[in-house]
Amino acid sequence: MEYIILSMTLLAIGIYGLTTKYNMIKLLISIEMITAAASMNFVIFASLLNDTLGQAFMILALSVDTCMTAVALAIAVVIYRKLGAVDITELSKLRE
Amino acid sequence: MVHEIILTVGLVTSAFFAVYLEEPVYAVVSLALMNIILSLFYFSLNVPFAAVFQLAIGIGTVAVLLLTGEMFTRKTYTAQTIRKKLLGLVASVLLSIPSILSVGAMTATTQSSGFSISSALWDLRFIDVIAQGLVVLTIALGIAMILRKKRSDG
Repeated sequence: MEYIILSMTLLAIGIYGLTTKYNMIKLLISIEMITAAASMNFVIFASLLNDTLGQAFMILALSVDTCMTAVALAIAVVIYRKLGAVDITELSKLRE
Repeated sequence: MVHEIILTVGLVTSAFFAVYLEEPVYAVVSLALMNIILSLFYFSLNVPFAAVFQLAIGIGTVAVLLLTGEMFTRKTYTAQTIRKKLLGLVASVLLSIPSILSVGAMTATTQSSGFSISSALWDLRFIDVIAQGLVVLTIALGIAMILRKKRSDG
């Protein structure tokens, strides 16, 4: 259970990045960190409870997370081509 | 015990620098380093499949994807001074102190699992694996559609 504090620290760092950064790539890095903290919990509990099902869940979660990153990056590239910036404060210009 | 403390400090420091550094390339490199240390953590917890998967996905896919995305965009950041970077290093080490104390106090030992990961995946979560394959296929088609529409616009 002691590793939970470590995953909570990773979660806090991810939330810090998510709330203070405006670059879309930095936001994606923060989201990656949050999902790494979540999947770390799967692995920790799988290890402590001696159950491989947690590893299976972690593998499934990590695959979907990678797909999410790919989609978000594709959207970021399209937004950059349209607006010339990856700053999320510029996204309101997409309405125009 | 000592290697766990080193891994803890390395993990928290690299995670903090991945968010703290303004230069996206350095931030992605720091994220890749965090994934390496995380997979080493998984090896120390005796969960090798998760460790290998974290290494392959975290560095082989996510870091490469983020670097590619950064390559397609313009650099708009302002360079940080050495003083700010040192300040970030001190902050990250301070941030890792609770984790060091808790990991150092850990007494339970972990053991490897009795049944294999393949049976857990294919016997217990078979539907999930099939559904995830469909999700990945749909996402790949979606990305192709997003970029294809843009190309036809241009």
